[in-house]
Amino acid sequence: MTTITLSESASTTHRPAANRILAVFRLHFVNPYTVVIIPWLIMLFIFLVNYAIWWLIDANVQDAADRSDAQQGLGWSGASFYIFVYLMVVAIQAINFTFPFAQGYGVTRRDFYLGTSLAFVALAAGYAVALTVLSYIEEATGGWGLGGQMFTAVYFGTGEWYTRLATFFLILAFFFFVGAAIAAVYVRWRTNGMLIFFGLLTVLLVGLAALATFTQSWPAVGEWLVENGANGVILWSLVPTVLAAVTGYFVLRRATPRD
Amino acid sequence: MNAVIEVSGLTKRFGDVVAVDDATFRVEENQISGLLGRNGAGKTTMMQLLTGQDFRTSGEVRVFGENPVENSRVLSNVCFVKESQRYPEDFRPTHVFRSAAWFFPHWDAAFAERLIADFRLPLNRRIKKLSRGQVSAIGVIVGLASHAPLTFFDEPYLGLDAVARQTFYDRLLEDYAENPRTVVLSTHLIDEVSNLLEHVLVIDEGKIIVDSSAEELRGSATTVAGSRSAVDAFIGAREVLHRDDLGGLASVTVGRLSPAERLAAGQAGLELAPVSLQQLIVRMTTSDETQSERRRIA
Repeated sequence: MTTITLSESASTTHRPAANRILAVFRLHFVNPYTVVIIPWLIMLFIFLVNYAIWWLIDANVQDAADRSDAQQGLGWSGASFYIFVYLMVVAIQAINFTFPFAQGYGVTRRDFYLGTSLAFVALAAGYAVALTVLSYIEEATGGWGLGGQMFTAVYFGTGEWYTRLATFFLILAFFFFVGAAIAAVYVRWRTNGMLIFFGLLTVLLVGLAALATFTQSWPAVGEWLVENGANGVILWSLVPTVLAAVTGYFVLRRATPRD
Repeated sequence: MNAVIEVSGLTKRFGDVVAVDDATFRVEENQISGLLGRNGAGKTTMMQLLTGQDFRTSGEVRVFGENPVENSRVLSNVCFVKESQRYPEDFRPTHVFRSAAWFFPHWDAAFAERLIADFRLPLNRRIKKLSRGQVSAIGVIVGLASHAPLTFFDEPYLGLDAVARQTFYDRLLEDYAENPRTVVLSTHLIDEVSNLLEHVLVIDEGKIIVDSSAEELRGSATTVAGSRSAVDAFIGAREVLHRDDLGGLASVTVGRLSPAERLAAGQAGLELAPVSLQQLIVRMTTSDETQSERRRIA
């Protein structure tokens, strides 16, 4: 009686890591409904709601000064924020639904996470390009004919094209990988994991706020924000993005698919 | 004989529960093996340990001679079809089969097409909207068409009707004859698969209680029936697997009988009947349960 090994068995094969990771990447796009179509439908809906509000302002504010005041306020639009948060939901779903499926296909957790990360980077890049293009259309059409602002808010969508692109990309990458980390915690520890994770996160944030208050360093925080500007702050988001990505990897490495 | 799977002293604990208890066995290459047992006996946990989906508490697992956990060399040759398999939200069967081709190097698209027709599976309906049997058919098709050198089917046919189940057995055997590979099948429907299996593993309360070739197991028990006095005289001190008494008659299941013993039984006016694999396993796993219940009470 002997044990058969991979090299002795005629029927076994071994595919290079790149192929397996690419297969996971493609798996996220085989049904574009979840990762592409639904987010765009949501974006369209948010846009139409905003458009209606712009139109209301435009139709009802007659005084030129008041109107310019109102339109300035539109520059602080948080409409796109919904898209960012929704894409975080997409990231959570992508891992939560696809992980147990890929495990049945004999994919290792490592290959799954790397292929998924690659898909998230690609999605962040794709959405960043689209949002950049929309920000230029918004400018060219004078805010869609109504002075509205959704893709050219004060904190993004301004400046040179590469600044816009990089800003959108970094914001989206942040939300995708925070989503990946949350999904990994959920896949591994389920509801209890979520409770503890958000509990710890709340304690951490309150703790940081307390630290800033007791050491009277809020002015310093403010200075730091002003000094770095919107672009600098967004560049610093790379730190939590990378932290979330690495945390997600190590959490998922020990996760077990459950029914 | 070449073992594709080698397990020794394998144990998996979930808190106080021992799901797999000191299991030791081998699965030979290019055989169809059955992993049989009751609900909650540890079948799914065992398969998850063998496919690297779960982590062992102690003991050894070797698949193709290596530890399967996070081992892509091993796992790219493994397909694991679970009854409870979850599919990504909004997937349709067509998405499953299209992507399967990227993961299984031996994926047989033509065979998959044929199976889709056999099972009358609608390709473009959302999986959420499919019947239980149609969802099971997806898993069965992936498992068969994957042509993975090592394929696990865990209760693959919940909700499949008798015709569809027969189709599964027929296609599995046909394909297995052309493309020999190692198949491990867990099921409740023991009688249905008993002719399919070459090797049988029975797991009960996490322990492997039977590890034997199906051939050997089939002749390993006999029911002796007749008048109670004649039956009692015949069985003597033999181990009794099961006993039914009805008035002056008795029917007793005992182990393997030699030709001489069979002759003696005939002369004593006793009737001998073979015991099916299913009856045998039911008897073995029920008695084990009552024993452990007694242990718990004691």
